Amino acid sequence: MHDHAEYIIVGAILFALGLVGFLSRRNLIVIFLSTEIMFQGVVLNVVAFARLHQHLEGQAFGLFLLVIAAVEAGLALGMVVLLFRRRGTLDAQAWSLMRG
Amino acid sequence: MSATTSYLLYSIFALGGAGVYALLPRRGTSKTLIGALLAIAALVAFLVVVAMRFVVPDSSTPYFLLFSTIALAAAVRVVTHTRPVYSSLYFVVVVVAVAALLVLLQAEFLAVALIIIYAGAILVTYLFVIMLAQQVGAPTYDRSAREPFLATFAGFVLMAAIAGRAGDWRGQTPTRTIPVAFAETGPNQSTSGSTSNTRSIGAMLMTKYVLVVELSGVLLLVSMIGAISLARRKIAVEGVPRVGMVLGQAGREAKPF
Repeated sequence: MHDHAEYIIVGAILFALGLVGFLSRRNLIVIFLSTEIMFQGVVLNVVAFARLHQHLEGQAFGLFLLVIAAVEAGLALGMVVLLFRRRGTLDAQAWSLMRG
Repeated sequence: MSATTSYLLYSIFALGGAGVYALLPRRGTSKTLIGALLAIAALVAFLVVVAMRFVVPDSSTPYFLLFSTIALAAAVRVVTHTRPVYSSLYFVVVVVAVAALLVLLQAEFLAVALIIIYAGAILVTYLFVIMLAQQVGAPTYDRSAREPFLATFAGFVLMAAIAGRAGDWRGQTPTRTIPVAFAETGPNQSTSGSTSNTRSIGAMLMTKYVLVVELSGVLLLVSMIGAISLARRKIAVEGVPRVGMVLGQAGREAKPF
Protein backbone atom coordinates (compact mmCIF):
# COMPACT_ATOMS: atom_id res chain seq x y z
CA MET A 1 0.00 0.00 0.00
CA HIS A 2 1.29 3.41 -0.94
CA ASP A 3 1.29 5.62 2.13
CA HIS A 4 2.50 8.89 0.56
CA ALA A 5 5.19 9.34 3.21
CA GLU A 6 7.33 11.26 0.73
CA TYR A 7 4.78 14.07 0.52
CA ILE A 8 4.55 14.23 4.29
CA ILE A 9 8.31 14.50 4.65
CA VAL A 10 8.51 17.23 2.01
CA GLY A 11 5.76 19.10 3.85
CA ALA A 12 7.65 18.69 7.12
CA ILE A 13 10.82 20.06 5.54
CA LEU A 14 8.91 23.07 4.24
CA PHE A 15 7.57 23.61 7.77
CA ALA A 16 11.08 23.36 9.27
CA LEU A 17 12.50 25.79 6.70
CA GLY A 18 9.75 28.24 7.56
CA LEU A 19 10.56 27.79 11.25
CA VAL A 20 14.23 28.55 10.60
CA GLY A 21 13.30 31.69 8.71
CA PHE A 22 10.81 32.75 11.36
CA LEU A 23 13.38 32.40 14.12
CA SER A 24 16.41 33.83 12.38
CA ARG A 25 15.35 36.62 10.04
CA ARG A 26 15.03 40.17 11.34
CA ASN A 27 12.89 41.77 8.65
CA LEU A 28 9.24 41.73 9.71
CA ILE A 29 8.03 41.06 6.16
CA VAL A 30 10.37 38.09 5.71
CA ILE A 31 9.28 36.75 9.10
CA PHE A 32 5.69 36.64 7.93
CA LEU A 33 6.71 35.16 4.58
CA SER A 34 8.32 32.35 6.58
CA THR A 35 5.03 31.69 8.34
CA GLU A 36 3.41 31.42 4.91
CA ILE A 37 6.01 28.78 4.00
CA MET A 38 5.00 26.91 7.14
CA PHE A 39 1.38 27.13 5.97
CA GLN A 40 2.39 25.56 2.65
CA GLY A 41 3.98 22.64 4.47
CA VAL A 42 0.88 22.15 6.59
CA VAL A 43 -1.45 22.23 3.58
CA LEU A 44 0.71 19.65 1.81
CA ASN A 45 0.62 17.43 4.90
CA VAL A 46 -3.14 17.71 5.34
CA VAL A 47 -3.80 16.83 1.71
CA ALA A 48 -1.33 13.94 1.80
CA PHE A 49 -3.15 12.51 4.82
CA ALA A 50 -6.46 12.99 3.02
CA ARG A 51 -5.09 10.95 0.14
CA LEU A 52 -3.73 8.34 2.53
CA HIS A 53 -7.09 7.87 4.21
CA GLN A 54 -8.94 8.08 0.89
CA HIS A 55 -11.38 10.76 1.89
CA LEU A 56 -11.88 14.43 1.22
CA GLU A 57 -12.07 15.93 4.69
CA GLY A 58 -8.39 16.80 4.58
CA GLN A 59 -8.94 18.83 1.45
CA ALA A 60 -11.83 20.70 3.05
CA PHE A 61 -9.56 21.35 6.02
CA GLY A 62 -6.94 22.67 3.60
CA LEU A 63 -9.44 25.21 2.33
CA PHE A 64 -10.08 26.45 5.86
CA LEU A 65 -6.31 26.66 6.33
CA LEU A 66 -6.22 28.97 3.32
CA VAL A 67 -8.86 31.15 5.01
CA ILE A 68 -6.75 31.33 8.16
CA ALA A 69 -3.67 32.17 6.07
CA ALA A 70 -5.50 35.01 4.34
CA VAL A 71 -6.75 36.39 7.66
CA GLU A 72 -3.28 36.16 9.15
CA ALA A 73 -1.64 37.85 6.18
CA GLY A 74 -4.12 40.72 6.20
CA LEU A 75 -3.82 41.45 9.91
CA ALA A 76 -0.06 40.86 10.07
CA LEU A 77 0.68 43.13 7.15
CA GLY A 78 -1.59 45.82 8.61
CA MET A 79 0.42 45.64 11.80
CA VAL A 80 3.71 45.68 9.86
CA VAL A 81 2.67 48.91 8.16
CA LEU A 82 1.66 50.34 11.53
CA LEU A 83 4.97 49.40 13.13
CA PHE A 84 6.92 50.74 10.17
CA ARG A 85 5.17 54.10 10.40
CA ARG A 86 5.90 54.20 14.10
CA ARG A 87 9.63 53.51 14.01
CA GLY A 88 10.65 53.90 10.39
CA THR A 89 12.31 50.50 10.25
CA LEU A 90 11.25 46.94 9.59
CA ASP A 91 13.81 45.55 12.04
CA ALA A 92 12.07 43.26 14.49
CA GLN A 93 14.74 44.01 17.07
CA ALA A 94 13.63 47.65 17.17
CA TRP A 95 10.68 46.28 19.14
CA SER A 96 12.61 43.93 21.36
CA LEU A 97 11.85 46.02 24.44
CA MET A 98 8.09 45.70 23.76
CA ARG A 99 7.28 49.22 24.90
CA GLY A 100 5.56 51.80 22.82
CA MET B 1 10.81 2.67 8.04
CA SER B 2 14.02 0.91 8.89
CA ALA B 3 16.61 2.31 11.27
CA THR B 4 19.04 2.75 8.38
CA THR B 5 16.61 5.02 6.61
CA SER B 6 16.11 7.01 9.80
CA TYR B 7 19.84 7.58 10.24
CA LEU B 8 20.21 8.42 6.55
CA LEU B 9 17.46 11.01 6.93
CA TYR B 10 19.03 12.41 10.10
CA SER B 11 22.39 12.88 8.42
CA ILE B 12 20.77 14.44 5.36
CA PHE B 13 18.88 16.86 7.57
CA ALA B 14 22.10 17.72 9.40
CA LEU B 15 23.80 18.38 6.05
CA GLY B 16 20.91 20.51 4.85
CA GLY B 17 20.80 22.36 8.17
CA ALA B 18 24.49 23.17 7.85
CA GLY B 19 23.84 24.41 4.32
CA VAL B 20 20.96 26.65 5.41
CA TYR B 21 23.05 27.92 8.33
CA ALA B 22 25.85 28.89 5.94
CA LEU B 23 23.39 30.44 3.51
CA LEU B 24 21.68 32.65 6.07
CA PRO B 25 22.76 36.27 5.69
CA ARG B 26 25.44 37.31 8.13
CA ARG B 27 27.97 40.00 8.76
CA GLY B 28 31.54 39.52 7.74
CA THR B 29 32.75 36.88 5.33
CA SER B 30 30.04 35.35 3.21
CA LYS B 31 29.77 31.58 3.11
CA THR B 32 27.26 31.50 0.28
CA LEU B 33 29.20 29.12 -1.95
CA ILE B 34 29.82 26.52 0.78
CA GLY B 35 26.21 26.83 1.92
CA ALA B 36 24.88 26.40 -1.60
CA LEU B 37 27.06 23.35 -2.18
CA LEU B 38 25.99 21.78 1.14
CA ALA B 39 22.32 22.51 0.52
CA ILE B 40 22.44 21.12 -3.03
CA ALA B 41 24.24 17.99 -1.79
CA ALA B 42 21.61 17.52 0.93
CA LEU B 43 18.80 18.02 -1.58
CA VAL B 44 20.24 15.49 -4.02
CA ALA B 45 20.86 12.96 -1.24
CA PHE B 46 17.34 13.51 0.08
CA LEU B 47 15.82 12.94 -3.34
CA VAL B 48 17.86 9.77 -3.83
CA VAL B 49 16.81 8.39 -0.44
CA VAL B 50 13.18 9.30 -1.04
CA ALA B 51 13.21 7.77 -4.50
CA MET B 52 14.85 4.57 -3.23
CA ARG B 53 13.05 4.07 0.06
CA PHE B 54 9.71 5.87 0.01
CA VAL B 55 8.28 6.33 -3.43
CA VAL B 56 6.24 3.57 -4.96
CA PRO B 57 7.25 4.15 -8.57
CA ASP B 58 4.48 5.08 -10.92
CA SER B 59 3.96 7.64 -13.65
CA SER B 60 3.81 10.55 -11.20
CA THR B 61 7.20 9.87 -9.58
CA PRO B 62 9.34 12.10 -11.87
CA TYR B 63 6.89 14.95 -11.37
CA PHE B 64 6.99 14.47 -7.62
CA LEU B 65 10.80 14.60 -7.61
CA LEU B 66 10.86 17.64 -9.90
CA PHE B 67 8.29 19.69 -8.01
CA SER B 68 9.58 18.83 -4.55
CA THR B 69 13.06 19.91 -5.71
CA ILE B 70 11.65 23.22 -6.91
CA ALA B 71 9.61 23.74 -3.75
CA LEU B 72 12.47 23.00 -1.34
CA ALA B 73 15.11 25.00 -3.24
CA ALA B 74 12.79 28.00 -3.59
CA ALA B 75 11.85 27.76 0.11
CA VAL B 76 15.54 27.88 1.04
CA ARG B 77 15.90 30.99 -1.12
CA VAL B 78 12.86 32.63 0.52
CA VAL B 79 14.38 32.12 3.93
CA THR B 80 17.92 33.13 3.00
CA HIS B 81 17.57 35.90 0.43
CA THR B 82 18.70 39.33 1.60
CA ARG B 83 16.09 41.30 -0.35
CA PRO B 84 12.42 40.92 0.63
CA VAL B 85 11.18 41.46 -2.93
CA TYR B 86 13.12 38.46 -4.18
CA SER B 87 12.03 36.48 -1.13
CA SER B 88 8.39 37.04 -2.01
CA LEU B 89 8.98 36.21 -5.68
CA TYR B 90 10.64 32.95 -4.68
CA PHE B 91 7.63 32.36 -2.45
CA VAL B 92 5.46 32.42 -5.59
CA VAL B 93 7.66 29.61 -6.93
CA VAL B 94 7.07 27.66 -3.70
CA VAL B 95 3.32 28.14 -4.04
CA VAL B 96 3.24 26.97 -7.65
CA ALA B 97 5.38 23.91 -6.87
CA VAL B 98 3.23 22.99 -3.85
CA ALA B 99 0.13 23.39 -6.02
CA ALA B 100 1.64 20.96 -8.50
CA LEU B 101 2.28 18.50 -5.67
CA LEU B 102 -1.36 18.91 -4.64
CA VAL B 103 -2.41 18.04 -8.19
CA LEU B 104 -0.33 14.88 -7.91
CA LEU B 105 -2.26 14.11 -4.71
CA GLN B 106 -5.50 14.54 -6.68
CA ALA B 107 -6.53 17.71 -4.89
CA GLU B 108 -7.13 19.75 -8.03
CA PHE B 109 -9.53 22.26 -6.55
CA LEU B 110 -7.28 23.01 -3.60
CA ALA B 111 -4.30 23.42 -5.95
CA VAL B 112 -6.07 26.04 -8.04
CA ALA B 113 -7.41 27.76 -4.93
CA LEU B 114 -3.88 27.83 -3.51
CA ILE B 115 -2.49 29.55 -6.59
CA ILE B 116 -5.35 32.05 -6.78
CA ILE B 117 -5.35 32.93 -3.09
CA TYR B 118 -1.61 32.91 -2.46
CA ALA B 119 -0.06 34.04 -5.72
CA GLY B 120 -3.01 36.24 -6.59
CA ALA B 121 -4.06 37.82 -3.33
CA ILE B 122 -1.64 37.35 -0.47
CA LEU B 123 1.51 37.94 -2.50
CA VAL B 124 0.12 41.15 -3.97
CA THR B 125 -0.50 42.36 -0.42
CA TYR B 126 3.06 41.48 0.52
CA LEU B 127 4.44 43.32 -2.51
CA PHE B 128 2.36 46.38 -1.65
CA VAL B 129 3.70 46.38 1.89
CA ILE B 130 7.25 45.94 0.62
CA MET B 131 6.76 48.95 -1.64
CA LEU B 132 5.17 51.00 1.15
CA ALA B 133 7.83 50.17 3.68
CA GLN B 134 10.80 50.41 1.39
CA GLN B 135 14.17 51.09 2.90
CA VAL B 136 16.98 52.78 1.04
CA GLY B 137 19.60 50.28 -0.05
CA ALA B 138 19.97 46.96 1.69
CA PRO B 139 19.51 47.60 5.42
CA THR B 140 21.61 45.91 8.07
CA TYR B 141 18.79 43.82 9.45
CA ASP B 142 18.32 42.15 6.07
CA ARG B 143 21.97 41.25 5.82
CA SER B 144 22.46 39.74 9.26
CA ALA B 145 20.40 36.93 10.68
CA ARG B 146 19.53 36.73 14.36
CA GLU B 147 20.94 33.63 16.05
CA PRO B 148 21.28 31.61 12.82
CA PHE B 149 22.84 28.61 14.53
CA LEU B 150 20.15 28.24 17.17
CA ALA B 151 17.42 28.71 14.56
CA THR B 152 18.77 26.05 12.21
CA PHE B 153 19.38 23.76 15.15
CA ALA B 154 15.75 24.13 16.21
CA GLY B 155 14.68 23.35 12.67
CA PHE B 156 16.94 20.29 12.58
CA VAL B 157 15.58 18.98 15.90
CA LEU B 158 12.03 19.45 14.64
CA MET B 159 12.80 17.56 11.43
CA ALA B 160 14.58 14.77 13.29
CA ALA B 161 11.61 14.37 15.63
CA ILE B 162 9.18 14.22 12.73
CA ALA B 163 11.31 11.75 10.75
CA GLY B 164 11.80 9.62 13.83
CA ARG B 165 8.08 9.45 14.49
CA ALA B 166 7.22 8.91 10.85
CA GLY B 167 8.01 5.23 11.17
CA ASP B 168 5.23 4.63 13.67
CA TRP B 169 2.32 4.98 11.34
CA ARG B 170 4.02 3.72 8.19
CA GLY B 171 2.61 0.49 6.92
CA GLN B 172 -0.54 0.72 8.98
CA THR B 173 -3.70 0.43 7.01
CA PRO B 174 -6.06 3.33 7.70
CA THR B 175 -8.94 2.09 9.79
CA ARG B 176 -11.45 4.70 8.69
CA THR B 177 -14.20 3.76 6.37
CA ILE B 178 -14.74 5.69 3.18
CA PRO B 179 -17.24 8.49 3.85
CA VAL B 180 -20.24 9.16 1.66
CA ALA B 181 -18.88 12.21 -0.09
CA PHE B 182 -15.91 10.28 -1.34
CA ALA B 183 -17.71 7.05 -2.04
CA GLU B 184 -19.97 8.84 -4.51
CA THR B 185 -17.06 9.58 -6.80
CA GLY B 186 -15.15 6.44 -6.06
CA PRO B 187 -11.65 6.13 -4.67
CA ASN B 188 -9.95 6.78 -7.98
CA GLN B 189 -10.67 10.38 -8.81
CA SER B 190 -8.08 10.75 -11.49
CA THR B 191 -10.25 8.98 -14.01
CA SER B 192 -13.26 11.18 -13.36
CA GLY B 193 -11.36 14.47 -13.67
CA SER B 194 -11.25 17.66 -11.65
CA THR B 195 -14.96 18.41 -11.82
CA SER B 196 -15.85 15.59 -9.51
CA ASN B 197 -13.17 16.63 -7.04
CA THR B 198 -14.60 20.14 -6.96
CA ARG B 199 -18.15 18.82 -6.82
CA SER B 200 -17.40 16.47 -3.94
CA ILE B 201 -15.65 19.19 -1.94
CA GLY B 202 -18.47 21.61 -2.64
CA ALA B 203 -21.08 19.10 -1.53
CA MET B 204 -19.11 18.41 1.63
CA LEU B 205 -18.63 22.10 2.42
CA MET B 206 -22.26 22.93 1.89
CA THR B 207 -23.63 20.05 3.94
CA LYS B 208 -21.32 18.79 6.64
CA TYR B 209 -19.20 21.90 7.11
CA VAL B 210 -21.70 24.65 6.34
CA LEU B 211 -21.33 26.15 9.80
CA VAL B 212 -17.56 26.30 9.40
CA VAL B 213 -17.97 28.03 6.03
CA GLU B 214 -20.18 30.66 7.66
CA LEU B 215 -17.70 31.08 10.49
CA SER B 216 -14.85 31.56 7.99
CA GLY B 217 -16.86 34.32 6.39
CA VAL B 218 -17.28 36.00 9.77
CA LEU B 219 -13.58 35.55 10.46
CA LEU B 220 -12.63 37.18 7.16
CA LEU B 221 -14.98 40.07 7.89
CA VAL B 222 -13.48 40.58 11.35
CA SER B 223 -10.00 40.49 9.87
CA MET B 224 -10.96 43.05 7.23
CA ILE B 225 -12.41 45.40 9.84
CA GLY B 226 -9.33 44.94 11.98
CA ALA B 227 -6.94 45.64 9.11
CA ILE B 228 -8.87 48.75 8.09
CA SER B 229 -8.95 50.10 11.64
CA LEU B 230 -5.22 49.41 11.99
CA ALA B 231 -4.42 51.18 8.74
CA ARG B 232 -6.57 54.25 9.53
CA ARG B 233 -5.00 54.87 12.90
CA LYS B 234 -3.03 58.08 13.10
CA ILE B 235 0.55 57.54 14.21
CA ALA B 236 2.68 60.27 15.67
CA VAL B 237 6.18 59.58 14.37
CA GLU B 238 8.39 59.44 17.39
CA GLY B 239 10.66 62.44 17.39
CA VAL B 240 11.49 62.48 21.07
CA PRO B 241 14.42 60.19 21.70
CA ARG B 242 13.30 57.30 23.82
CA VAL B 243 14.90 54.03 24.67
CA GLY B 244 13.22 52.29 21.76
CA MET B 245 14.07 55.09 19.36
CA VAL B 246 17.76 54.41 19.72
CA LEU B 247 17.20 50.82 18.70
CA GLY B 248 15.04 51.87 15.75
CA GLN B 249 17.66 54.32 14.58
CA ALA B 250 20.34 51.71 14.90
CA GLY B 251 18.67 49.70 12.14
CA ARG B 252 18.22 52.70 9.90
CA GLU B 253 21.48 54.54 10.14
CA ALA B 254 24.00 51.76 10.33
CA LYS B 255 26.79 51.98 7.82
CA PRO B 256 26.35 49.66 4.84
CA PHE B 257 29.66 47.91 5.37
